[in-house]
Amino acid sequence: MKVHIDEEKCTGHGRCAKYAPNVFRLNDEDGYNADAGKTIDVPAGEEANAKLGIKSCPERAISVVEA
Amino acid sequence: MNRSSPAESLDKETTPEALIERFGRDLVNDFDLDDPAFNDRFDETLNFMAHKCPVVHSKVGKGYYMINTQDDVRAAAQDWQTFSSAKGYMPNRPDGLPYLMPEESDPPIHTRWRRVLNPHLSPKVCAGYEQVVRDDANALIDKFIDRGECEFISEFGALLPGWAFFKNVLGLPIDDLAMLVNGVEEGTFALDLDERARNFGEVFEYLDKHLQWRSTQPSRGDLIDTILAGVTYDDGTESPWEHKVSILVDLTFGGIATTTFVMGSAIHHLATNPDQRQLLIDNPELVENAIEEYARFFPPVVALGRTATTDVEVAGTTIKEGEFVMLTYACASRDPRHMDEPEKIDLSREGIPHSTFGVGPHRCIGSNLARIELIATLEEWLKRIPEYRVKPGGEPTYVTGFLRSMRTLQLEW
Ligand code: HEM
Ligand code: SF4
Repeated sequence: MKVHIDEEKCTGHGRCAKYAPNVFRLNDEDGYNADAGKTIDVPAGEEANAKLGIKSCPERAISVVEA
Repeated sequence: MNRSSPAESLDKETTPEALIERFGRDLVNDFDLDDPAFNDRFDETLNFMAHKCPVVHSKVGKGYYMINTQDDVRAAAQDWQTFSSAKGYMPNRPDGLPYLMPEESDPPIHTRWRRVLNPHLSPKVCAGYEQVVRDDANALIDKFIDRGECEFISEFGALLPGWAFFKNVLGLPIDDLAMLVNGVEEGTFALDLDERARNFGEVFEYLDKHLQWRSTQPSRGDLIDTILAGVTYDDGTESPWEHKVSILVDLTFGGIATTTFVMGSAIHHLATNPDQRQLLIDNPELVENAIEEYARFFPPVVALGRTATTDVEVAGTTIKEGEFVMLTYACASRDPRHMDEPEKIDLSREGIPHSTFGVGPHRCIGSNLARIELIATLEEWLKRIPEYRVKPGGEPTYVTGFLRSMRTLQLEW
């Protein structure tokens, strides 16, 4: 599974990393998604957490690019 | 004046007659955030609007629209070019009130400020305040636990957020907190608009003086010093003094006028639902999720405003350039298109897509701190006072406008 984090939309709610800490990382400095603007791989077994993180992002900043 | 009215609906429940019969007024064409009926029937009104009224209009003062569905609120909040914050966030803003940065500004000015302010309220920095906040929660509980009762708002809920923010982030003396809390409350909810402006003025004056004093002191490298250092705007000018003061005012408003409502509502919900209380006591790992659900269901910020910079259509309603538009975050968080049974509180709800901390570039800068205050409150309270109830006759009282707050709640154990 691959997901993309939209840099324009991410405003640092931090929900993604709360629900899927092994998938999403926050910048230490400002708390925005550290991979904003990138497409990242979801480690095997983390798909369900990733989906919860995606669902709880108030900005809808994360999209699944490959299921 | 010929205003285009919100989308005609064939729904029998949203005809003016049906609305007047049910709610006492035509919610769709004649809404009023300050109507006491909205305060009294808050949940029912929000649930109804989230289901049935994507856009409503108010005739109060210069008038304003309210956008009520999650998708439309998100789209508008993210589209700051069309929905500008630069003309203020409150409807029928009193004349002469200075604009508050960063809330009442748009990118790129807004971005300049957020970039320097965000690091002071990041998840990592706020995590460092957690122990102090827990100790403060316990110090407050110490004062009333042996009495077997308390008035939760004045003895805890209105104090902890101010302590957390003043002590940890601003380095302000907590002795002056009562004055500021009162100024912020009256500035928001006083029925007389001049009275609101006068109260805002006092808060401004106090914080202006504090900032002046700090500018004479050695740097502490804290949030206040970052504000004093200022930012350079894109046109090369330096941020003026008034902007710096307004940053501090805006932060203080957010820091003390909001979290209390979630806190009081959560504590009240647990007082009246012993099974849910037991659930959290038995499963402390659920507390963080419970906080999100409480924040979703008990939104201190009901709606915040924008000004349309061009004619724009939202859910079939044309909003004209210059019109004032409220983004009803409270309704967006109960949108049945995005969650099951939004009108119920479910502490185990998975992945809670709420808008309580706002959406778009103005996302609440204090959200990380607010979450720590809420988690500390529930955890420490349930450890110290696991069995408690509402004192007979002490049911909560509320006040509502574009913000909502709890005024009183009597508890006993
Ligand atoms: C449960 C508690 C809180 C809630 C529900 C809340 C809600 C909100 C919302 C909805 C916004 C978005 C404004 C908009 O769309 O125009 C906002 C912005 C803001 N909040 Fe909070 N807030 C809370 C706590 C705090 C705290 C503790 C602070 C200060 C430490 C704070 C400071 C601010 C500031 C300065 C802004 C303006 C940000 C900007 O415009 O860029 N808030 N808040
Ligand atoms: S939840 Fe969304 S907005 Fe928040 S940090 Fe993650 S991606 Fe960004």
